[in-house]
Amino acid sequence: MNKDTISGIVLLVFDAAYFWSAQQIPHSVLDDAFGARGLPNILSVILGFLALVIIARGLMAARIQRADAAVDDDEPVDHESTLPRAIGFVLIGVGYIVLLPILGYPVAITLMIATIALYEGAARDWRIPVAAVFGGVLFWLIFDVLLGVGQPSGMIF
Amino acid sequence: MDFATIWTLSTTTWLIPAALIGLVWGILGGALPGISASITMALLLPFTYTMEPVVAIVMLASVYIGAEYGGSIPAILIRTPGTNSAAATVIDGYEMRRQGKAGEALGISLWSGFLGSLFGLLMLVTMTEPLSWLALSFRPTSYFGLGILGLSVIASMSSGSLVKGLAAAIVGMMIATVGADPIAGINRFTFGVPELLGGIEPVLVMIGVFALSELMIQSGAPELNGLKEKIRIRLPSFDMMKRLKRSQAIGGIMGLFEGLTPGGGGSIAAFLSYNEARRWSKTPEKFGKGSPEGVAAPETANNTVASTTLIPLLSFGIPSSNSTAVLLGGFLIHGLLPGPRLFEQNAEVVTGLYFGSFIAIVGQLLFGIILLPACVWLVNRPRPYLAAYILALIMSGIYTLDHSLFHIGFVLGMGLLGYLMRRAGYPFLPLILGVVLGHMVESSYRRSLVLSAGDHRIFLQDPIAVGLLLASLAFILYSLWSEFADSAKSKRKAAPKETSI
Repeated sequence: MNKDTISGIVLLVFDAAYFWSAQQIPHSVLDDAFGARGLPNILSVILGFLALVIIARGLMAARIQRADAAVDDDEPVDHESTLPRAIGFVLIGVGYIVLLPILGYPVAITLMIATIALYEGAARDWRIPVAAVFGGVLFWLIFDVLLGVGQPSGMIF
Repeated sequence: MDFATIWTLSTTTWLIPAALIGLVWGILGGALPGISASITMALLLPFTYTMEPVVAIVMLASVYIGAEYGGSIPAILIRTPGTNSAAATVIDGYEMRRQGKAGEALGISLWSGFLGSLFGLLMLVTMTEPLSWLALSFRPTSYFGLGILGLSVIASMSSGSLVKGLAAAIVGMMIATVGADPIAGINRFTFGVPELLGGIEPVLVMIGVFALSELMIQSGAPELNGLKEKIRIRLPSFDMMKRLKRSQAIGGIMGLFEGLTPGGGGSIAAFLSYNEARRWSKTPEKFGKGSPEGVAAPETANNTVASTTLIPLLSFGIPSSNSTAVLLGGFLIHGLLPGPRLFEQNAEVVTGLYFGSFIAIVGQLLFGIILLPACVWLVNRPRPYLAAYILALIMSGIYTLDHSLFHIGFVLGMGLLGYLMRRAGYPFLPLILGVVLGHMVESSYRRSLVLSAGDHRIFLQDPIAVGLLLASLAFILYSLWSEFADSAKSKRKAAPKETSI
């Protein structure tokens, strides 16, 4: 399956979930004729149609490619291989969210900087802890002290 | 132009420092390869949350101005454009550097950017001011027409895939339906999460899809070649200024038209102006071999666009590029909706934007020279540390918006969505337009029907709504015709190849 077919299927599944959720929206005596469900229902129908068109186009393109073996696939093959790295990025972010209320902002942000630097391939030497601690102090000074945002203080720090 | 307002704003707010800080941030951000103008602006968005509206808008607009110049620095020095719109500058800029004229190329870029920005600002002021009279005539029906016009430009922003553009816009509108509905106040798609009751702030979607997805895309990418030698900017001599006049004029005109065109943007303007400058040049054979005109034309064009692209944004609330979409996010954070009524209800913001942009443009000449060593230092930083600091900035910045960890998680999700959209070839801008305009289209449509007791003829009784809806229809038909024409042309081009084989 090519990218169009996969993305079309993902859209269709998302659309089905959205449509189902739209049917759970309660009616109200304050509702107008169009109602709170009106736009979600219309959007759902349109997205369903577009998803089917994208799937159909993907399947047609796949058939043409199969039929014409001489034509090279012009899509770079390394695209999919970067997906795990992107997911790794998100997981590090999720780890930050989980640790923030426990460790507190200065420690959590320091750890996150060190983790990302390692994840992105920084040389494992003294520069990582130095850059992480410097960054932690810098961001704490900017956000907590200078801007007075009040980043979360954790149970430990 | 209200000079009394300018004086008041200059003396009672942080407008001038904001313009200069935004400019500095923009030059530094633009100089980082892979960090586009829109990402540079998105990174700053959370910081503007607590600022006065006019100060915040000026700061963001100044970032855009600075980033357009900043992008040319790595384009000239290491053959890697800092922003997309600096890609055309690489051709002759890097050739000049190879010939030992890096300082001269940077000077031409700075001077051309200055002239382009000034011309763009002049056009912005003269073309948007007359719109203020329209403000008083706007009704809910007119806003519905305006929203539809905004959505109709999606067709031209979908870069070859109208269906994907439309799908992205519908997903954006679905995101906009989260929260209380605009008439009855019924909760939709909140799933018991209190953070979703007030809806989803467009700024969260913007930061996720623009800034975070870029980090994911660049994750694991190899390091760029560093730059070791010292370089000083040399502004063009009087003779050189005279020589560059023609290409700068071409760049200005191209920048004006592309800024007005939805989906146009600085990159297209830069390449078009480069081609036209070569065509009209007395020495076209020198293009590609280190021609100063080859630097001047695209740099004038993309800097002109930084101002002229604000014309459709301020006039109709339509962001025609990623950067103006982020600027629109800045407006929305402060409860401002660009469009005709902005000129009536928040005239001081518009005036402040004009003046702040002027300050940033003038400051660009000075800071462009002063900041060069800092830009070179930044370009030489190892990518892993840059990525770590940028992510830390994003995470910390989002928390300032609403003190919510849920929002940080939501932005991470939007980052992944942006990554997947890029990989599957879905454009971002329709998604953002859907998020921004979805609420306006629904609320104005339903309010109009409440006023008319459900009679749709109310839309035909408002001449502004009729005009905007007709313009939308014309735009959609033109975009469809263009797409079919382009598709037919590419098929015709492909046909002879097959026969020749």
